[in-house]
Amino acid sequence: MDFKRFRLIYKLITKNKKLSEKRHPMFERNRFMKIFSYGMIAFMACYLIFFGLMFANLFADGSKEACDMLNQGIIIFLILDFFIRFGMQETPAQEVKPYKVMPIPINTLMHIFLIKRGWNWYNVFFMFFFIPFGIISIATTPYFGVSGLIGYILGVWLLFILNAYWYLLWRTSVNHHFVYILAPIIIYIALIFFGMFTGDWLFDGSMKFMRGFIEWNPLCFLTVIAAIVILYVVNLWLQKKLIYFEIAKVEKVKKVKSQEMSFLNRYGVIGEYLKLEIKSIVRNNVVRKIFISGVIITLIFCAVTAFTPAYDSGFMRVFICIYCFAVYGIMTLTNVMGVEGNYIDGLMSRKESVLSLLKAKYYFYCFMLLIPTLFMIAPVATGKYTVYELLGCLFFTPGCIFPFLFILAIFNNTTMNLTQKIQQRTTNSKAQFFVSLGAMLIPMVVMYVLVMLMGSIWGGVVMMVLGLTGVALHHVWLKAIYKQFMIRRYENMSSFRATRNA
Amino acid sequence: MKTCQVSVQLETLKKVFGENVALDIDTFTINSGDVLGLVGNNGAGKTTLFRLILDLLKPNTGHVTIKTEDAEYITSNCEDWKTFTGAHIDSGFLIDYLTPDEYFSFIGKVNNISKEEIDEQLKRYEDFMNGEVCGQNKLIRNLSAGNQQKVGIIAALLNQPSLLILDEPFNFLDPSSQLAMKYLLEDYNKQTGATILVSSHNLTHTLDICTRVALLEHGRIIKDYNKEDSDMIAEIEQYFEGNVHHEAIAKEA
Repeated sequence: MDFKRFRLIYKLITKNKKLSEKRHPMFERNRFMKIFSYGMIAFMACYLIFFGLMFANLFADGSKEACDMLNQGIIIFLILDFFIRFGMQETPAQEVKPYKVMPIPINTLMHIFLIKRGWNWYNVFFMFFFIPFGIISIATTPYFGVSGLIGYILGVWLLFILNAYWYLLWRTSVNHHFVYILAPIIIYIALIFFGMFTGDWLFDGSMKFMRGFIEWNPLCFLTVIAAIVILYVVNLWLQKKLIYFEIAKVEKVKKVKSQEMSFLNRYGVIGEYLKLEIKSIVRNNVVRKIFISGVIITLIFCAVTAFTPAYDSGFMRVFICIYCFAVYGIMTLTNVMGVEGNYIDGLMSRKESVLSLLKAKYYFYCFMLLIPTLFMIAPVATGKYTVYELLGCLFFTPGCIFPFLFILAIFNNTTMNLTQKIQQRTTNSKAQFFVSLGAMLIPMVVMYVLVMLMGSIWGGVVMMVLGLTGVALHHVWLKAIYKQFMIRRYENMSSFRATRNA
Repeated sequence: MKTCQVSVQLETLKKVFGENVALDIDTFTINSGDVLGLVGNNGAGKTTLFRLILDLLKPNTGHVTIKTEDAEYITSNCEDWKTFTGAHIDSGFLIDYLTPDEYFSFIGKVNNISKEEIDEQLKRYEDFMNGEVCGQNKLIRNLSAGNQQKVGIIAALLNQPSLLILDEPFNFLDPSSQLAMKYLLEDYNKQTGATILVSSHNLTHTLDICTRVALLEHGRIIKDYNKEDSDMIAEIEQYFEGNVHHEAIAKEA
């Protein structure tokens, strides 16, 4: 294929890719989310600039050059970059699918997708860190100067491209066999372990190697370029080998055991919806992952609170207590109705089924509070919190925080893709953003003020009373939410349908 | 096992998507016991009409009234009519992370049907399921499109509805299942007297089972046939052939 045609196809594919990103249903339907995403990228860029400047100043007074100090740990940036890429990028073998039947040679397509992987804005994102860092610690020094900075930035960029191809190789292998998921973990742990216990060869070596870029040592550049070429060729070979595997890939259909859960039968229709909630967690990747992360986060915070002095005083103490109880609810209820969006028509064609569903969800989340209650026994036993505070949070969460989160059932209208392997962000509205923020901050302020004014015992008692009132009135506020949901039902149903297979 | 008498009245029903008028019906009555077939090309408004009847879409004007012997329900104002209505439109009706057995059990329980009764009901559909739906220990999402369709149709029938609405029920089904489906609907109507609304692109099956056929074009009912009308089949076939003919002329031009 001549270069002109190659360029034409490259341009067309780039255009299609840009359109697919631009027309992603999540953004197309929600201007706020679009602006929010751009805002987050800008924020991250500012954050990196800040850290770049901070590190340059921090290392300025050391025994070594600031850039040498940082370059010792360049591997950490590469590891970080590797894991951030996780879940964000498809493999070329997957991307090539729609073009497979077109009159374009597979080889050309593979080259295009691989080149695009190297020539990608993401590979320069970390420059928001390295450029300000380099300006202060390299360009302004008399012996390196601007040419040193350019060499350094070029070298770092090459390393990130190398990382992109290494990530791609791993990602493709994982698609082929799950066991490859261990490869980067083993390699990175081994590297750091040997680096630390065998005379710092890794850190000194990376420092010297990076110094090579600053001094425009051709050997350093050639080494990285050679590594990129090797990984490119290996990727090309592997992608071509796996393309038919990817195209013909059929998910293995697992046989599932029918779960009766007869102990829930006594609760009638609510019991049926409770079963549905449990099966949704067990059988859907995304929901299961949120559940597991929620439990792990709760466990970590409880352990840190119980056994370290990290969160012993002030606002952080209150924050952790509330957080442990509310985190699972916040993680899941911010997307309440997202799972049900998949079968909303079925629900809506049955009388008051959404009301029963909301009730079942409420009881389920109340039951789930037993987990933080159990975990929080340790901090209570070590005297970090009083029993009253624990009970206060235990009742305040379902009585005052959950009603706040359940309001989102009225506004949420994006269907959650249940079969995807990696959770995509479904925070898609102003309502979700502000309600989840409020659900976290307001209870913290309430608890902080109550404990400060009345002490931990009476503060806890007042929280308990407030919470129990909310729990006692749950039929009333759930019914009110259901009524509001019914008022917005057409708008929500239409959006659920539109995002069902997005 | 007669069900209650249900008729459906559409009044000044209009649905517009952007600038496209998806449905515009002045008045139309579906009588109790009718097996109404909706036919029309893509975009004629069949699914939109079903969604409007089921209150899954908000009409721009007008409303749908469901009448029984004892009461009248405007579908957008209350939910009582849902207790005697069964419907399947698409996969948005299926809880796909359940097995078919679990799903039927769920539908049964929320409709206050005992387990024995569900088992009894499912026995009636054994031929239709052809041993590929129940007892397979597969999640609904892992079934073939045809078997998913069967799950949806059976679920719609489980509470023995007086009003049954099925959108494209013959889609994805193999020829044997299509025939089984046809007999199943005919029997159900005969035994229960239920009002059945079916849309389909399969003219043969639709004309076979329906006592009445409404022809939709660009959201309007342009013709309403009774089975007794001797020229029904010829006219409908002529309509669709004419469309193909017009398209061919347009292409040539």
